[in-house]
Amino acid sequence: MLPEYVAFDLKSAALQWLLILGVGASIALLFAFIRSFALYGTNGPNEVGREIVEGSKDFLGISPRRVGALTMLTVREAIRRKALLVFVVFGILFLFGGWFLTQSNDRPELQVKVYVSFVLTAIQWLILPVVLLLSCWGLPEDIKARSLHTVVTKPARRNEVVLGRMLGFIAVGTMVLVVMSLFGYVWLVRQVPESAQSQLICRVPVYGALKWKDREGNEATKGINTGDIWEFRGYVEGATRGRAIWTFNNLTPADMVEVQEAGKEPVERLRVESRFQAFRTYKGNMNRSLLAQITLVNAAKKLAIPLKPFELSEFGNVVTLIDRKLTYDDDASKTKKTIDLFDDLASDGTLTMEVRCLDANQFIGMAQPDLFIRKPDLPFASGYFKSIAGIWLMMALIVVLGVTASTFVKGPVAMILTFFLLILGSWFHSFLDQLVKGSVQGGGAIESMIRIYDHKNPMVELDPTARNRIIKQIDKIPFFGLRVVSQIVPNFDRFTMSEYVANGFDVPFTEPVPPYDSALLPAILSLAAFAFPCLLLAYYSLKLRELESK
Amino acid sequence: MPAEPVIQIRNLSKIYRDFWGRKKVRALNSLSLDIHKGEVFGLLGPNGSGKTTTLKLLLGLLFPTEGEISMFGKPASDVSKNERIGYLPEESYLYRFLNAEETLDFYGRLFDMPAATRKERANKLIELVGLQGARRRQLKEYSKGMTRRIGLAQALINEPELVMLDEPTSGLDPIGSREMKDLILKLKDQGKTVLMCSHFLADVQDVCDRIAILYQGELKVLGKVDELLKEQDITQIRTSRLSPEAIREIEGVIARHGAKVDGVDHPTASLEDLFLKVVHESRERPGRRFMDSPAVDAKGA
Ligand SMILES: Nc1ncnc2c1ncn2[C@@H]1O[C@H](COP(=O)(O)OP(=O)(O)OP(=O)(O)O)[C@@H](O)[C@H]1O
Ligand SMILES: [Mg+2]
Repeated sequence: MLPEYVAFDLKSAALQWLLILGVGASIALLFAFIRSFALYGTNGPNEVGREIVEGSKDFLGISPRRVGALTMLTVREAIRRKALLVFVVFGILFLFGGWFLTQSNDRPELQVKVYVSFVLTAIQWLILPVVLLLSCWGLPEDIKARSLHTVVTKPARRNEVVLGRMLGFIAVGTMVLVVMSLFGYVWLVRQVPESAQSQLICRVPVYGALKWKDREGNEATKGINTGDIWEFRGYVEGATRGRAIWTFNNLTPADMVEVQEAGKEPVERLRVESRFQAFRTYKGNMNRSLLAQITLVNAAKKLAIPLKPFELSEFGNVVTLIDRKLTYDDDASKTKKTIDLFDDLASDGTLTMEVRCLDANQFIGMAQPDLFIRKPDLPFASGYFKSIAGIWLMMALIVVLGVTASTFVKGPVAMILTFFLLILGSWFHSFLDQLVKGSVQGGGAIESMIRIYDHKNPMVELDPTARNRIIKQIDKIPFFGLRVVSQIVPNFDRFTMSEYVANGFDVPFTEPVPPYDSALLPAILSLAAFAFPCLLLAYYSLKLRELESK
Repeated sequence: MPAEPVIQIRNLSKIYRDFWGRKKVRALNSLSLDIHKGEVFGLLGPNGSGKTTTLKLLLGLLFPTEGEISMFGKPASDVSKNERIGYLPEESYLYRFLNAEETLDFYGRLFDMPAATRKERANKLIELVGLQGARRRQLKEYSKGMTRRIGLAQALINEPELVMLDEPTSGLDPIGSREMKDLILKLKDQGKTVLMCSHFLADVQDVCDRIAILYQGELKVLGKVDELLKEQDITQIRTSRLSPEAIREIEGVIARHGAKVDGVDHPTASLEDLFLKVVHESRERPGRRFMDSPAVDAKGA
């Protein structure tokens, strides 16, 4: 199921993060006070205060040289313990992988998709277990062999130990990733069949915000629902005032593509691609598809320039090229006028496009990502290495989580814990989110049980008896727990960017482009958001415990 | 009495607990000690008497169940005190995949030393502990004594004011342990403080100014080595190459003064006698402080 378009909102994300951090810190402090009271009596609060002061000092006084030493140690350890044997597995996979991948009679973009997905998935699922293993075993082994004793009896602070370990494992992962991704790139470029090479590109779409007008021309929050349960697309009725309105921001002339027509000078045009759904209420003219028309609008300047109508296409995108100089009939002066797309129409970088259906009583279905401006293509490497960056961020997050877990529990337990987080965060996160938002039908655990027992289907409301109301309240308790879990478990979907590249798109920086969930900036911030509390947690976990192996 | 205690221990107790917080062992019971600047202090006791536990408590590796510790006037949990301390653990807990040079460089970095200083000290120390021939070999290939030596080198990398050595001579060959003792005396000459644990009583007797004997976590004896070992009513005369006639003559002289010759033999390691006596007595009469020494000054604190 496709997620709805949610703009990434930095401010609210930051606020939410602070809130969770604050609540977490308060709970931790409360426990600290209770425990210190049990241990030291009335002197307890002083002890807590001392730990906080010492902690702040340790974090402010971090020595890059010490952290560097520990990082280097970690890298050396990994190399001398032959952790890099993973390359062998990788190499073998690729030697034989190419034989089974695609049939050469597949469509070119499908072939590319298979190859690119294979490479990126292979890299991801080879590197994650390696760093998971390394990061979860490192510190527990260090404690068990007591080599950590010799380190912490030097002026090395415990946060430096944690940080050094984390950076070390990240460095090892980076080395592995760099080699693998370069190898993968070369392999791809050489292995993709000649006929499909042209599909190794990175399209750069620009998406706009979508608004609607109903058939009377009033503003609407949604398009018309034609009875589809899946509400992804809204519909516009033909030959009415119904419109779907896209607004694009920050456009510049550099967003135009160069178009070469036979026997002419190349010209720069704005390339718009669309793919709408036709919904016929009667057969109509079956020799052609439904007709749609885009109108460029600048409400402030009272400009509305209709473009040539086009037929919907069932396969592939319809490409509309907009000239920079636009000629239109001016109703007021009854003359033809010419204006400039960027100087006049979108002088502040904002361009509005209204789409309507021209066939009476027929409908056209549209969703936000169904129409986009396509900027000049980037080389394939751009998207490829950006999605490698996504894998890198994911790997770094695994290291952070693994090292943190390993300060609390022994290696195997830490591994299971981190692995569990990874599974929960990559496969069940969207389910978790739906559950928490209450968009899964049939209610909570007990309610569902009763429905099964009463043979009630999940759509029917339960009778508002006292029993049922109490049950609904009880069912909310685990939901609250789940909400907390869904906030704390990292969403690994945010880091998976291979889908963009596999489908021939560039990886966006600030905002995810539907139907996918990931973009670089949110992934970077996600990593940072977890790294800070994890570092703090791991520091106190190492500091407040005796480093004897038990 | 020298002023300025480098280490102050007051009523220190340690109980090891298991995961569920149940008491397992009482490893140390109400220990009070002062160790002063510039002295070589020996911590003795049979296996499992709490020597290593004491060192680990001092270093902040373990947390005391009761009591207080002050090192250079700071609590044991303060990491900044480590700048002035060198520690040789019971077994050298080092990274076995590093070689000697890398090991010293690594620990030098932990003291935030610049590269030039690290290099210079590493060279000096490798020479000092006699590992020139093995400086590029990984520690996992080292013999026990070699591991001990590199362990000692890392403990001295920061030119510490206080050196804590947990059984420094274990695993060393006779030459090595002689060198170790010389080194300890040299450190003392440089005005450094040394705290060591050992089973080799002869070594302790040779180098220590003061000793403490622990038995099952309790302090049994504390005092200056020479005072503890001086037995007032025994006079020992040592000569060399004495003929049987001369011995007979001397016996005659002693008899004339109304004394009796107990025996003529070569002197034994007298600290060993003391040690065995203390351990024996402690076993017989548990809970009794065996011998009060003039050096105990901790009572008022
Ligand atoms: N990590 C631990 N967990 C539980 N008990 C411990 C632990 N470490 C030491 N002990 C116990 O504490 C007591 C004192 O041990 P410690 O290592 O301090 O003795 P020691 O004097 O150094 O002995 P040795 O001469 O053999 O080195 C022993 O009974 C030992 O079993
Ligand atoms: Mg010991």
